[in-house]
Amino acid sequence: MTLAESQALLHALLEGGPAADPERLEACFAGTPELPAAERVGIYAGMFLSRQVDALRASFPRLAALLGEERFEALCGDYLAAHPSEHHDIGRLGRRLPAFLRLHPDPGRPELPDLAELERARDEVFFEAEAAPAPREALAALPPEAFAAARLRMVPALRLLALAHDAAAAWRGPEGDGSPPARAGPVALAVWRTGFEVVHGPLDADEGAALASALAGEPLAAVCAAFEGRDDPGGAAASALASWLAEGWIAAVEPPPGAGA
Amino acid sequence: MALRRVDLGHGIGLRTAHFGRFLAERPPVAWVEGISENFMAAGGRPLAVLEKVRRDVPVALHGVSLGVGSVEPIPERYLDDLERLVRRIEPALVTDHLCWGRHRGRYLHDLLPLPCTEEALAHVAARVRQVQDRLGRQILLENPSTYVAYREADMPEWEFLAEVARRADCGILLDVNNVHVSAHNLGFDPLDYLDGIPAARVGQLHLAGHADRGRYLLDTHDAPVAGAVWALYGEALRRLGRVPTLVEWDDRIPPLEVVVAESRKAAAIEEELLRPAAVAPAAGPREAVAP
Ligand SMILES: [Fe+2]
Repeated sequence: MTLAESQALLHALLEGGPAADPERLEACFAGTPELPAAERVGIYAGMFLSRQVDALRASFPRLAALLGEERFEALCGDYLAAHPSEHHDIGRLGRRLPAFLRLHPDPGRPELPDLAELERARDEVFFEAEAAPAPREALAALPPEAFAAARLRMVPALRLLALAHDAAAAWRGPEGDGSPPARAGPVALAVWRTGFEVVHGPLDADEGAALASALAGEPLAAVCAAFEGRDDPGGAAASALASWLAEGWIAAVEPPPGAGA
Repeated sequence: MALRRVDLGHGIGLRTAHFGRFLAERPPVAWVEGISENFMAAGGRPLAVLEKVRRDVPVALHGVSLGVGSVEPIPERYLDDLERLVRRIEPALVTDHLCWGRHRGRYLHDLLPLPCTEEALAHVAARVRQVQDRLGRQILLENPSTYVAYREADMPEWEFLAEVARRADCGILLDVNNVHVSAHNLGFDPLDYLDGIPAARVGQLHLAGHADRGRYLLDTHDAPVAGAVWALYGEALRRLGRVPTLVEWDDRIPPLEVVVAESRKAAAIEEELLRPAAVAPAAGPREAVAP
């Protein structure tokens, strides 16, 4: 058996278990009367799944708690069969779990994909690159005529989630299956880092739209336009921008080309 | 070429659970080892902690995903990430395992055994050279814990590892616990393993705990180093002399001082065994390393 053949075989036995190909297993691997080859391969096969389930549990602790051990493991088994690991960091194994849950919804728990999306965002934000936040006076320093066309560069460790359920409540909620399904209705959540700690919080719908526009690199005029429905749109925009600066979400305020600094 | 053994002394694995206390207390460990893949992200706390610790003590980067024996090519993305991390941390040692772990573009996230055949030997040696050329430095390959043997074998694992090291001009990270676990599971004499490893190629030792699962031993890294492994560590020191030694503890991680105490114990054993009077009669001739 060539090296390539033996690796293909062991891979098949890890995914399918020792019973997947008992004849070739015996031909390739040696055992002892006390511990036959199939059981030895079974040690690897058992660890193959449990190690990946452990990694997913570390990335999605609230989802795992909400589902309970048995259902979480079953979910992981289905997910890993559809999305085997393609990255050297086992910590990234669950990056496609929110999308997988959307494709395979649990009728009794429609909020699960949103909860998973929140946990994935928290995981991503934890490992994002450092970026020095812009100083608090960065917006005030902009020449008034440059304001509308200026753009914000947001720090990498920031995510905006537009969800269909209150995933933050599900994230907080009591563990086990006893908790009621999370409230339905559009929710905007920001996920970011203070120091090394990941935090998340809700945004009003218009502030969520403004942040989406900032993250998309649109000019400040478009960002501020999100607040048009308010009694005092200018004041609401100014206070949102000030809070983004205070939270360290803005890495830089970039004046339009040609504008004086 | 040969291996230049860096005299690091005694260290412990730097694990997330101990980040806070490690920075605050600076425990008496001479160096630390980080799992390379855990620090390949763009930023965040792990990388910041490692960089901070690196200012005070040497760091070894210990990989688990290279899968140097995998038949398919080593992904460029992996080599890029590893190279970037090595440049950033400037580690004292770069290590990974004698194993395979990738197939059809998938990472299997395990240290899977290789058949000790001529074909595998040539393959692994060439791949180690590729990695070393890419990084511009030697790496150390670690013997894994093994649970099953291939029917086809041209040589025992120690000969295979020694020959990989010679052909690829790399170092060996000898995991004493893994020697014990594999010897028990596969039925060889662990002293044959130690005797078969060229001393001059060994740049580091690992110590860790394992679990007794009845019909086999499992390499769990979740317990103190077993008595038999301490004894084997003594045997290794008699053959190798002073080698940087690192205690790994990765699961059911106890308070920092417990891991540090294991490392101090290793230091005490080394001191006891390698006092000038103690070492003289036991030191045999070193195996020459081919140019
Ligand atoms: Fe090890």
